[in-house]
Amino acid sequence: MTEKQYDVVVVGSGIAGAVLAKVLTQAGKEVLMLEAGLTAGMALKPEEDYENYQSYLQRFYETTIKATNTPYPEIKDAPSISVLEIQPQTPYETGYMVQLGPLPFGSDCLRAPGGTTLHWLGNVPRMLPNDFQMKTLYDQGVDWPICYDDLMRYYEMAENEIGVAGDVDSQQGPDMSRSNYGPDYVFPMDKIPQSYQDQVWIKSTNGLDVSLYGKTYTVNCISMPQGRNSTPNNDYRYADTVWDPASQSLNLITTDKNYEVVGATWNSYTGERCEGNASCVPICPVQAKYNALKTLKKADESKLDIITKAVASRVLIEPGGTDVAGIMYKAYTDPDSIEYTPHIAKGKIYVLACSAIENAKLLLASNVANSSDQVGRNLMDHLVLLTWGLLPEKGYPYRGPGCTTYIPTFRDGEFRKDFAAWISPIDNWGWSWPTFAPGSDVTNAVINNAMFGKDLRSHLNADVPRQTLLHFECEQAPCADNRITISEKYKDHLDNYRPVIEYDASDYMRKSFKAAKHVSDQIFAANNIEDHTIYSPTEADYVTWDGQGYTFRGAGHIVGTHRMGSSASESVVDKNQRTWDHQNLYLVGCGNMPTLGTSNPTLTMTAMTYQAAESILKQLESNN
Amino acid sequence: MNAIIQQRQGRKRHKRKTHDKCYKKCGTISSVKDLRRHLQTAIEIEHATLPPYLTALYSIKEGTNAFSYQTIQSVAMEEMLHMILACNILNAIGGHPAINKKRFVPSYPGYLPHSNNSFIVGLGKFSPEAIDTFLEIELPAQAGAPAQPDHWDTIGQFYEAIEYALCHFDLVTEGGIFTGDKSYQLDENDYYGGGGKLFKVYNLPRAIVAIQEILSQGEGMSDSIFDSDEMFGEEIDIAHYYKFNEIKEGRRYTLNGTPEKPPCGEKVDVDYDEVYNMAPNPSIKNYPEGSPLWQQTNEFNKTYMALLDSIHDAVNGNPDELKRAVPLMFDIKYKAIALMKTPYKDGMTAGPSFEFVK
Amino acid sequence: MTNSTEHFDTFLAISAWLTGYEPVELQGTGMVQTYYSTLRENITAIDLDAFFAESDFILAKAQTDVDAAKVRTASHLMQNSSFNSLGKQIILMWYIGQWFADPSGDPNNSVQINAQSYVEALMWPTADTHPPGAKEPGFGSWAVKPVSVDTFNVTL
Repeated sequence: MTEKQYDVVVVGSGIAGAVLAKVLTQAGKEVLMLEAGLTAGMALKPEEDYENYQSYLQRFYETTIKATNTPYPEIKDAPSISVLEIQPQTPYETGYMVQLGPLPFGSDCLRAPGGTTLHWLGNVPRMLPNDFQMKTLYDQGVDWPICYDDLMRYYEMAENEIGVAGDVDSQQGPDMSRSNYGPDYVFPMDKIPQSYQDQVWIKSTNGLDVSLYGKTYTVNCISMPQGRNSTPNNDYRYADTVWDPASQSLNLITTDKNYEVVGATWNSYTGERCEGNASCVPICPVQAKYNALKTLKKADESKLDIITKAVASRVLIEPGGTDVAGIMYKAYTDPDSIEYTPHIAKGKIYVLACSAIENAKLLLASNVANSSDQVGRNLMDHLVLLTWGLLPEKGYPYRGPGCTTYIPTFRDGEFRKDFAAWISPIDNWGWSWPTFAPGSDVTNAVINNAMFGKDLRSHLNADVPRQTLLHFECEQAPCADNRITISEKYKDHLDNYRPVIEYDASDYMRKSFKAAKHVSDQIFAANNIEDHTIYSPTEADYVTWDGQGYTFRGAGHIVGTHRMGSSASESVVDKNQRTWDHQNLYLVGCGNMPTLGTSNPTLTMTAMTYQAAESILKQLESNN
Repeated sequence: MNAIIQQRQGRKRHKRKTHDKCYKKCGTISSVKDLRRHLQTAIEIEHATLPPYLTALYSIKEGTNAFSYQTIQSVAMEEMLHMILACNILNAIGGHPAINKKRFVPSYPGYLPHSNNSFIVGLGKFSPEAIDTFLEIELPAQAGAPAQPDHWDTIGQFYEAIEYALCHFDLVTEGGIFTGDKSYQLDENDYYGGGGKLFKVYNLPRAIVAIQEILSQGEGMSDSIFDSDEMFGEEIDIAHYYKFNEIKEGRRYTLNGTPEKPPCGEKVDVDYDEVYNMAPNPSIKNYPEGSPLWQQTNEFNKTYMALLDSIHDAVNGNPDELKRAVPLMFDIKYKAIALMKTPYKDGMTAGPSFEFVK
Repeated sequence: MTNSTEHFDTFLAISAWLTGYEPVELQGTGMVQTYYSTLRENITAIDLDAFFAESDFILAKAQTDVDAAKVRTASHLMQNSSFNSLGKQIILMWYIGQWFADPSGDPNNSVQINAQSYVEALMWPTADTHPPGAKEPGFGSWAVKPVSVDTFNVTL
């Protein structure tokens, strides 16, 4: 079955792989997609698709400790890293990921059809123009080889594909205004309604002056653009992204029809609007939240072959040359068996799209694309400082999408020379992240305080609806020593390498925790929020700065392991996301990002993938 | 829009209407005021189907009967759409839909409003008997069956009389009858879910398309099991009558299916045992006032009333109110299911009663 | 061995007393039988007999003197020494939908009873909300107060 020579071989069916499959097949190219996860997750028939997705939901309900990857099958032959494996003390090798420390890396991703978009939250703010010039402006990290304006048209394609609901005009903050979007631009759908709790917050937070190191900043609260279904915006006029052979470019084509909301993959009438399940992470039961399978189903099926249960294990190089000759993958039958059959997938162009972790691992295992010695380095994430407390009145949390409003005030500024910028989502889900509430409120009341009956019920009813949580998602600066490596010592079930991580939080990050907590204190005071934040020295990722301790958490934004750059000596891919070392090997995904900015990275990564798709199409056509 | 009408007329039993023909076929609809009254009845008929459909739907136990659940749910979503489309037509000709009044709320068991009283509709669990009743409700009109403004045999015949009256009075009235306030119209941005789209009605062609949408989703296009949704760029779907027939027969129709033949496609699992054993036709009168079941039923009815209030406001000049109706629609589902899990008597459970309360 | 329905009524009544929910509300979850079976699977018949005897005594007392019944509950059902924390286990089962093997020892040692026990856990309505991923309240519902609060002004 692998005799066929394809135009493009794509490894991975997450959002980057799905966008490539759709764009390339619609442009008439023959594509082979390799996916490590199970066949059921790729079901194209509605009944089977529905049944499989219901099995995800059922697993979520039935599992005692619920985490980001809970709903999805655990596969020994293609393991996913899991936040449940994280331990405070490094080094350890108990999970799939080997953590050498000094701090444990606190995020995970998913290896399954559709990739991590199955469990992502769906926040899709764009990066800021200044984020692309961190070295020039703030002497931190590196500059990107492209600027915001280069990416703008691809942002529009990504927003069209994901189906972004949001309000452009309200996107106001440092380095962010209408001009970031262009004069008439709107999102495909109206903003997701902001939560009742947001409105409670906004009363005392919008326009609040806070001071930080002698400077005053005026805080504002704005709606969060999201990849989930809302009411179509009547002014949105883009239909789809289409390859134009004449101009050799991808273009958004316009339509006089309203934006067509994309519902569940099994039934387009399901999930036409977000129904407020309040479980975007780990699973949207109605698929009102975007996932990559929606894009994959729009690919031209006649041009696309998908092989599931196929774990890419090595990139093969032409003997004596530098071109990629094929991708060796291990096909398994039983997901927990050590047996497999090796195959080689062949195409004109190869694209790795299987996450920053797996892409880096695969390159290292193959010893390719690494003349710069940058593969695996500069691993980044948003380091999330959480602060939580009780509102003076009920905000009725645990309802709606995870975040509908955010504070952009500290996303950019001169302070980035000294400490990391952050974005502050106002969280709609109470204390569930830091304390496992409301279950922990119940156990505390019943086990420790022996409460029962109406007293118990009214105690919980008085407190839990007042719980509130603020995030400070701090931009991790690139650091060569935060890295993924491989070792003969650590192999998985199919004899593939396990990721080995070295990781730390620099002073630049720790300073920002102190600054963020200082801002949090002022915002809490203005809202009369009773602070219940506790950072315990026994927790994973507990760090200190200036005598105070802080616990940060992973954001699931795994970025930067094969960065893009302007020279072959300092980066893995060029600005078209082609590897410097191999003219027919592209890398896509968050691994290409040279710096992280303060945006959730999926939107930017998807925009970059459109750019990569365009380059790939150009290269294919120029070779013909 | 004209192109659509012409395209549709090629496929429909309706011929292009002339002045004379319309007048004769209006039957007893004697004035615009009377026409408005009939449209109010149309709204009441659409609504009267919802409690029976929803009761059967919610009686299906979680995770069972996936096909039947999705089928009944899609029908209920479309009936709701039809109800609001009928409100749009009434508003278009200057009427005022009355949704939250005592007489709007049907009592079960009972006949559908203005029908020929040939079958009784009740609130019952998902069962073969319930499906038989649903088939009666959605029964397609015989080819050439007359328009019937009163004592109708089929809903199609009733709507046909309304359609003729709309044509007639629009022709004979100076300036036409579509003079209603356009801001009272609701559209697809206000309501979604299920096949078919909600659209604004502000002239005769649009009113006719609205009626055709209602009829084709219910009974099917003439001589076809399929509804008209593909014309609206939506997925091909079969009409309500045939959807219920699939449940009854335990088989899907194929793309070659016809009204004359039973479905012969793939089998579907229908398990009437995986259902809450609800006592038929629940009523708050069955429980002593103030008793726990009385209170739970009263709570349900109050939520139902809040929902009707919200819809009433939405179709009387506050379209945004429909957004407030959404959480109430979901809430009555959970309250109905809780009642159907609560023992009542003789091994049977309580259930939703959909009654008017102040 | 007690037969499978003995104490069923007492179980419902003491569940209501311990959780602060009305029996009809507990019945509306559809979980009474499941939780009763869970008790019978995890607790010996002898212990159950003793627990329900104490429960009957407290419930009878509550008819005439609620405060005395509360005092008795605190001292005879809510101590760690009372029936190996069975009273606490029952409350946690209803509120969280999990069976806690040893609530007074390791509070993390619990098991989700089944999918419905997650969906019907009382902690969600108690917190004026719904379980994440189930009983979704519909588009835009989060922008206003919950229906139960907004429509009926329910206060506890």
